[in-house]
Amino acid sequence: MTTEIFEINYLDWNNALEILNKAYHAGLFALIIGPKGTGKTTLVRKFASELKKELYSVNFSLRTRESHLVGSKTLEKGQISFVEGILVKSMRQGGLLYLDELNAAEADVLLRLDEALDDRRQIILKEAEGQIINANNDWSVIATINPLSHVGTKELPPQLLSRFPIRLRLEYPPEDIELEIVQRHTTVDKSRIDDMKRAIKLAKNLREAAAVEELYYSPSLRESIAFAKLLNAGSNAKQAAEIVYANAYDQWGQVEYQKVMDMITSIFVD
Amino acid sequence: MSTSSQALGPDYTHMRNDVLLDIAIFLSRRWSYNPNTVIILTRDRMPLAKIDKNQITLPFLNYYLGTSFQQYRQWRVGLWYESMRMHYSTKVLSYEHAFGFLLNTIETKRVEILGLQIWEGMMKELIFNEGMSWFARPLLNSVYGKTKIIEAFSQYFLTGYLKGELYGNDFEKVKKASSFAHDIVHDAVKNNYHTEWIERHISTLIKMLGLDALTSVPIVAPKTRIAGLGMNQSDLVKQIEKLVRRNTKSTDPDRTSRQIIEGSDLLHEFETLLKESKKTENKGYESLENLGLSVPEIMDIDPSPIYDADLIRKVKAKFRDWKTGWIERHEESGEEFDAESYTEMLPKNFLTDLKLSIKTRVAIVLDHSSSIEEVELQYKRATVALCEALNYLGIEFAVYAFSTESGRVKCWIIKPPKLKWSATGPRRLAQIRASGGTPLAEIYGLLQAIAKSFKPDIMVTLTDGEPSDFEAVREMVVSYRKMGIHMVALGLGRNLNDAISIGHNLKYLTYERSLAVSRLEDIPQKVIYLLRN
Repeated sequence: MTTEIFEINYLDWNNALEILNKAYHAGLFALIIGPKGTGKTTLVRKFASELKKELYSVNFSLRTRESHLVGSKTLEKGQISFVEGILVKSMRQGGLLYLDELNAAEADVLLRLDEALDDRRQIILKEAEGQIINANNDWSVIATINPLSHVGTKELPPQLLSRFPIRLRLEYPPEDIELEIVQRHTTVDKSRIDDMKRAIKLAKNLREAAAVEELYYSPSLRESIAFAKLLNAGSNAKQAAEIVYANAYDQWGQVEYQKVMDMITSIFVD
Repeated sequence: MSTSSQALGPDYTHMRNDVLLDIAIFLSRRWSYNPNTVIILTRDRMPLAKIDKNQITLPFLNYYLGTSFQQYRQWRVGLWYESMRMHYSTKVLSYEHAFGFLLNTIETKRVEILGLQIWEGMMKELIFNEGMSWFARPLLNSVYGKTKIIEAFSQYFLTGYLKGELYGNDFEKVKKASSFAHDIVHDAVKNNYHTEWIERHISTLIKMLGLDALTSVPIVAPKTRIAGLGMNQSDLVKQIEKLVRRNTKSTDPDRTSRQIIEGSDLLHEFETLLKESKKTENKGYESLENLGLSVPEIMDIDPSPIYDADLIRKVKAKFRDWKTGWIERHEESGEEFDAESYTEMLPKNFLTDLKLSIKTRVAIVLDHSSSIEEVELQYKRATVALCEALNYLGIEFAVYAFSTESGRVKCWIIKPPKLKWSATGPRRLAQIRASGGTPLAEIYGLLQAIAKSFKPDIMVTLTDGEPSDFEAVREMVVSYRKMGIHMVALGLGRNLNDAISIGHNLKYLTYERSLAVSRLEDIPQKVIYLLRN
């Protein structure tokens, strides 16, 4: 659960906020599909802060259990009580529930979620003597999924997909927009703009290689921002590129690292 | 090899073609922004892009002059130029006639200018390549007739100099034509015109040079050109210094020239590739000849017909959960207590997460007898998809294939156990022609030594029919089983009935399990399910 106390830096380059807004007011749940590091979470945080709504976030993994969502029983001072999970809390409070990387969850977790997301907007807590929780009218849900090519992702079951009739695709932005996003996060000196543009081109190229599984890792916008910060700290562009982009590939062997280094050598001038 | 003198010294290291192929595929796809680019390695042929086929043909390293590091650097520049053509040109004509030669030459300049706008870091390597190519270019005094004019134009237009002498009228002709060609390139770059626009100006150029479109141009490899000419360190230094002064704004041309000759940016890459080649040699191929196995070595083969990206994607998607999945298991002790099991009085009431993985080692034997000829393509596609999926799941595996060549049974090594599956695998499989019978016992005999060192848990034989040596196969299968290897046979049938009868036949060969498929695209799934069980 997060309450935003500072300005969230999000450049809405493809009108995603407007679509989310329309979906929210029409009472429809939205699904954002896009590779990691494209700003999905920042978009949702920005949207929640604009609506001035409390954001209840859960990040799914293969080890997320039903109890994390719904809640579990505890034993305290000889009394058994039920501690509500994030799904139940957000339903009661009418907050914005953010289901991050939903397609990394296991089937049984998704099944439980499905129950709450259907038109009745209610869930029966078998864990708490069959209590029925009805969602507050203001309750809304946004989920994100990574494309199937990403490690740890599964296909979202069709019935769950149908609970999110608004689907937004968030791709990596075009190079000029990416530059603008980087500049929103950190000031890039005019004399280093060309180096920054080369880094963005490199990142784009590496993402394309990862998309066809020729590389094991796809750099995100975070790497572009980190590169800019290294430039600001006085690093040489080629060295910064090696640190931010190439070194990560060493874990898959020297040849993988050298392939990326070759790209860096071909793009950057000493 | 960190100093320039060492870089020019003798070099006995050896780069394996499969390692070269791997880096070439990666670089060309990134440089050309074309994820479908295929690389074909051919002996003694100049680099050439076939744009409509997404193909780049490259020579082996020894096509170029110099030490193996210098050869690698020139080879890499050759790859870069062809990748740029792939990205910016729409056609490449034959170099053997004046029209095609001139179009390609002008395109070389255009794609170089456009390419350097993105790949600025290539500048130094292009200078090095030009310095080296000076040695390879023919001396004009030794070329005659129209060929001399064409060669002079190519030298003057691309580099601004002439090697040797060209007199009076001919020199003027070449200068004028070269200036005209530069104007065309300039206009094309400025206005974003493509190959077709340039092509329209080639006939003017031909007239200016006093040629005709079909004047033939002899193509000579650099090695042939150097015959009788010496190349030494000081010549190269002089040549590079000249180019640095002309083509760069370097404030310290001597230092820049030294850096270019050393090529330290690429040295580490080259050494890594050499190490990888050595690893490849040590791991997979030692004394193969002694074992009676053969390695399919042809590299000028296009593996794309047997590389079915759709099928591969489908198979991978099917097993994605196996790669990433976790399963919950109830145990007697642990950290997470499951109240439900406890209230139901079950003995195991703790939950533990277990990561799914397949630890089995597998050897696959592929039948390439003449009877699979009809379905050869589908069969190869399915086996490539199987290998891709096994690789994706991180399973240790080896692949062998057998066929008959000139009356002799050959057992081919497609992927040795310790090496990772790479672009070489499909290439090797693609060159094996289905022929001959099914001498399974002989093949098992050949593979016995390898089986003893690799110790696969399962050996899966994919075959489409009865082996020619029934009793001998039974004996061999028993001897493998004695080594603790589970022997499984997968029969390939044309249809369901066929598959069932093959399955029955295989049963009598004392395999522990025999399965049959009638749809070849089911092979990957069948084999992988086998491993999980």
